[in-house]
Amino acid sequence: MTESARLPVLDTGIRLRPTGWRSVRSGFVSFMLRKRLGALGLIIAIFFILLAVFATTLGRYDPDRIFQAPNPAYKSDPSISDLAKNQNVGSPDIVAQYESPNATHWFGTDKFGRDIYSRIVHGAGLSLTVGFGASIIAVAFGLLFGLPSGFYRGWLDLILQRFIDALQAFPALVLLLLLVQIAEPSVRNTVLALGIIGIPTTTRLTRSAVLGVGSRDYVAAARAAGATDVRIMVHHILPNIAAVLVISFSIGIGAYILFEATISFLGVGPSNVVSWGKMVQEGRAAIDIHPWLSVFAGLAIALLVVAFNFLGDALRDEFDPRLRGSR
Amino acid sequence: MRDYIIRRLLLNIVVLWMVATMVFVALRVLPGNYAVAQFASANIGAISDETIKEAERELGLDKPVLQQYREFMTDLVQLDLGQSFRTKRSVWSEIGDAIPYSLELGLLVVLVGFSVAFPVGILSAIRQDQWPDYVLRGVAIGGLAAPVFWTASIAVFFVLAFDLFKIDVTGQPHIWEDPKGALQWYVIPMFAGGLASTANTMRLLRSQMLEVLREDFVRTARAKGLDERHVVLRHALRNALLPVLTVMGLTVATIVGSQIVLEQMFNVPGVGRLLFTSIVIRDYPLSQGLVLLTTFVIVMTNLAVDLLYGLLDPRVRFS
Repeated sequence: MTESARLPVLDTGIRLRPTGWRSVRSGFVSFMLRKRLGALGLIIAIFFILLAVFATTLGRYDPDRIFQAPNPAYKSDPSISDLAKNQNVGSPDIVAQYESPNATHWFGTDKFGRDIYSRIVHGAGLSLTVGFGASIIAVAFGLLFGLPSGFYRGWLDLILQRFIDALQAFPALVLLLLLVQIAEPSVRNTVLALGIIGIPTTTRLTRSAVLGVGSRDYVAAARAAGATDVRIMVHHILPNIAAVLVISFSIGIGAYILFEATISFLGVGPSNVVSWGKMVQEGRAAIDIHPWLSVFAGLAIALLVVAFNFLGDALRDEFDPRLRGSR
Repeated sequence: MRDYIIRRLLLNIVVLWMVATMVFVALRVLPGNYAVAQFASANIGAISDETIKEAERELGLDKPVLQQYREFMTDLVQLDLGQSFRTKRSVWSEIGDAIPYSLELGLLVVLVGFSVAFPVGILSAIRQDQWPDYVLRGVAIGGLAAPVFWTASIAVFFVLAFDLFKIDVTGQPHIWEDPKGALQWYVIPMFAGGLASTANTMRLLRSQMLEVLREDFVRTARAKGLDERHVVLRHALRNALLPVLTVMGLTVATIVGSQIVLEQMFNVPGVGRLLFTSIVIRDYPLSQGLVLLTTFVIVMTNLAVDLLYGLLDPRVRFS
């Protein structure tokens, strides 16, 4: 009987897991497949990053170029009364203001005859710089304050937490309004101000993560082996709270982009740069006849913020289910 | 319980003191001051240092900063917020004029926010992973991502383009004086603000409902033959609401933020707009007073929420 002669095949359930770069790659692929929304967010974010990096090519035109169009009311020899009615009547070309979307100007033109599509593409750089820059600052300082605070506890923790309480009692926008006025409204200072308003949240998150990890056996073991405090914090605690840091980094970006748009809308954002928030504000003046400027600038903000929210949520679900709903 | 309240109140006072100090410092590190800013914007040409000095003396800005701080604190302890640089009226009467507008708009925003968040959150939970859930969550995420000033701008466009009603931002009627006029004025900011504040509440309510609906007592309620409506609204919702309460403080802070933008856009003479203007024109006493007021509201909301939590959930003990 060949049936019984065959050796029984035992499936022990042991699989060799890929290691190194292959493990990162397969982990990434499975993340993209399981978290569809997160994947979508990542794709949109990369799309905007590419837009920002290749803005000069993809933007088609210089964002500050003022376009001219033939004057429909042009008269080669205007009379005085024609000029009194319309002082541009004598010029063959006028500023191509308030054009609706067409083949030359995909998103139309604004009040000054500038190409809206080009300005949207060039505005991506500011939003992304602000989002990433502020988030890096917030996470870095959150780590700097939160790690010792959760590790040593005691009076340091107490003082630091009261300080954080006070910072959090401010509505974030109010604190931001105060901060952006301290120095001149450059991009760098805006990034700094946004980073500062994020510090309370990142400090809280880091601290609670450290509290969770600090009582683990491997920390006690490291201490018993004679490791210094700094070594324990850097080599044993930091790698184990990395997930929390990644999550708070990615979740923050959307919020900072939104805040930058808000202060630019209010007219106290970074000056001399193309900002989507400022564009929505500029579009408001003629919103009833020409909504395109506000519509496209606002859509760009919303799309980019949605992308980072999707990505952040997916990372949160993936790495740390306990954090779900904490925001 | 009494000790707990007293301790929390003391803690709040410490927080308010820190906030007051931070605002004081932040305002004074700002370059320029009210006197300088006024002359710069008046654009009268060259201003002699003498004129600026004179104006600073009048406003008390010539005193050493430490002395200014001491006076600010002594006044604050007596609940005196000083008088506005611009209008020379007391900060309290400025606040008194602004608060009714902000309360009106704020309450309308909360009303819209909750009346959207509750049904949507519940529906999204009982229809989990079906199309209503996806659609509603999509809308909620959109509400979280779309800037409040943009949704308001787009709403203004639709109202103007289709001539739905007249938007009059100059009349500024109170809702009890001219309900129709006030509602026409408030309707766009209230829905824009409401949509923005609804997303967080809705998402939290949904996840809480999902958790509670899997609890044993819900199964028991279903098993004993109660209709689904009763189970969801009486048994599940009540238990899912508690954590939603805890984010009330956060919701209030969000509303204060969107209030600044919306009041600025729709010319509402409320606290948000006053706060924005006072910071921009460097009206120190008014900025300080208004920041303290908003912070006070937020920390007190947090305290009230925590106490309410204890009343509603007998498992919570104060210590």
